[in-house]
Amino acid sequence: MVAPPDDDVLWARSVHCSLEGSPALSGVSLGVREGHVLAVRGPRACGKTTLLRCLSGQLVPQEGEVWFDGHPVHTLSRAQRERLRAERFAWIGPEPSLVPELNGWENAALPLLLRGTSQRAAKAAAMEWLERLDVADCAGRKPAALPRHRRQRIAVARALTARPTVLFADEPTASLHASDRAQVLRTLTTAARSHGVTVVLATLDEDAAALADHCLPLVDGRRADAATPEAEGQEACSLSV
Amino acid sequence: MLALRLARGSRLLVQLRRLLVAAASAGVGFLLLCTLMWAVGHPEGALLRLLWCAVPAAAAVQLAVAVARTDPGTRPRPGLSAIGLGPVRLTAYATVTTAASCVLGSLFALLAFWHLRGDGSGLPLDGASRRLLAGNGTVPAGAVVLLLAAVPVLASAAVACALRPSVRERAAAKPGTTSAPAGLPWGVALTAAGLAVETYASGGGDRTPLPLPGRFEGSPAGVLGGWALTAVGLALAGPGISHLCGWLLQSARPGAVRLLAGRALMSQARSIGRPLGVLCAVVSGTFAAAALYGPGDRRPYGVLTGLGAVLVIGCALASVLTAAAEAVHSREETNSALGEAGTPAAVLRAAAGVRVLALAAVFAPLTWIVAELAAAPLGR
Repeated sequence: MVAPPDDDVLWARSVHCSLEGSPALSGVSLGVREGHVLAVRGPRACGKTTLLRCLSGQLVPQEGEVWFDGHPVHTLSRAQRERLRAERFAWIGPEPSLVPELNGWENAALPLLLRGTSQRAAKAAAMEWLERLDVADCAGRKPAALPRHRRQRIAVARALTARPTVLFADEPTASLHASDRAQVLRTLTTAARSHGVTVVLATLDEDAAALADHCLPLVDGRRADAATPEAEGQEACSLSV
Repeated sequence: MLALRLARGSRLLVQLRRLLVAAASAGVGFLLLCTLMWAVGHPEGALLRLLWCAVPAAAAVQLAVAVARTDPGTRPRPGLSAIGLGPVRLTAYATVTTAASCVLGSLFALLAFWHLRGDGSGLPLDGASRRLLAGNGTVPAGAVVLLLAAVPVLASAAVACALRPSVRERAAAKPGTTSAPAGLPWGVALTAAGLAVETYASGGGDRTPLPLPGRFEGSPAGVLGGWALTAVGLALAGPGISHLCGWLLQSARPGAVRLLAGRALMSQARSIGRPLGVLCAVVSGTFAAAALYGPGDRRPYGVLTGLGAVLVIGCALASVLTAAAEAVHSREETNSALGEAGTPAAVLRAAAGVRVLALAAVFAPLTWIVAELAAAPLGR
């Protein structure tokens, strides 16, 4: 993780971000190499989602820099960041947030349709990914008629159909049972590796982190593995109760 | 008290919608009071006038239900559920809020009535309509209270029925259904039958149990029946027509914008189509009614007729706008998820615009055709 920034497709330097007044990230730096899987691990409310949102350009950090592919992300305008997200990034959330009116393959093909791909080509690409993720039988059905783990697989297919450079997965298995969790994660990381997609994966559990190339432990908006300033916060913690 | 406290803290747009309900209630209350005073002076024929007031009253009640349904304060919220304010008590809250808006309107109607009748306060318009509203000088207090309570009681009862927790659960259980609503064939049949009845009846004789305003000479009961059938038919057909619009939009190899717009329209056809159908019926009915009036009428166009017409049209329009606001709100979650996935906001705006255009392109000509067909036999 100490590789020079030139090798990294995505890197951030001392990102500070506060949400509605409360600090979420205080000085996080990281870099991800192309085609690698980075797991951001930590308990709830440690800033995982905020970090992913900063890296993917949904949020602009108050301080610090985010660079993608040699270009700054934090200085782009809202429209430029939107285009970057649509063309180079993909996002999988904790909930399989599919469009309820569209059926399986239409949901998976939506990113391609948004780029203006013809319907035939978009459907072919979407069906290919649905088959690879073992949900081809859900192609013609609405999300409401499907169990949650199948919906989440369709969300994974939607993210991969777009052929993104970086895939952000924010606790993609948070709402699944243990057996489905392992399967979804394995298919996600395998598919990403075989297509050279860089993955930034936010997760709570260690098993998921084991599938990654690198792990970034995050506690209270700081990297837990970074050299901590001496006894910082000791004073503040010694409350008498 | 909690209802009032919650109501006070809500957003401007929500307050504006509640104010619309209050205004509708005030309008209906004023109409009812005017009818009452006319009845005190002329006992014969008063029942008919009272019955005509049922049309604006129904419109006001429908608006109250539409507003209560979209009121963000009446949706189950985790914060309130945590303190024990679940769906059942929220229904009660919605009922109380509606009753409060309507009572406010009724009180305003009473004040306006008192003032126009001449309360001697010396403000402008004091006693401006003394001749119309004075009757023979006495005001039956019991009747006034009964009539002013009518809209608040009816509206609250309708809201309590429409927002029962069981009804809400059923509505929330089926997100994203795009199956066609069932009413289209019935709606078309009823509309056509209504127009036919009206055309047939307008050629009838001069024996009139229900005299229409203006200079109409045909059989008014038949014409009114025909209108009513047409209106019911349009209200029934509204969801089906909206669904058809959506289906047409998303057919034939759509791109992302057409696909999103069409499917959203198909899934919202039920909620948005009903008020649109009602608006279509009301507007075409208004055009047809305008054909009744002309120079030298026996029963000319009056202020109160105008007030009633404005109330009915206003309520129908406000219901459509409220349903549209609800539709926008119900898409918020999907849209934010699409935004996370990188969908440009311009695409979502374009999809919304295409939906509005498609609906306008279908409903505007439809309204015009029905209005022309309904007015054709009346203008002869």
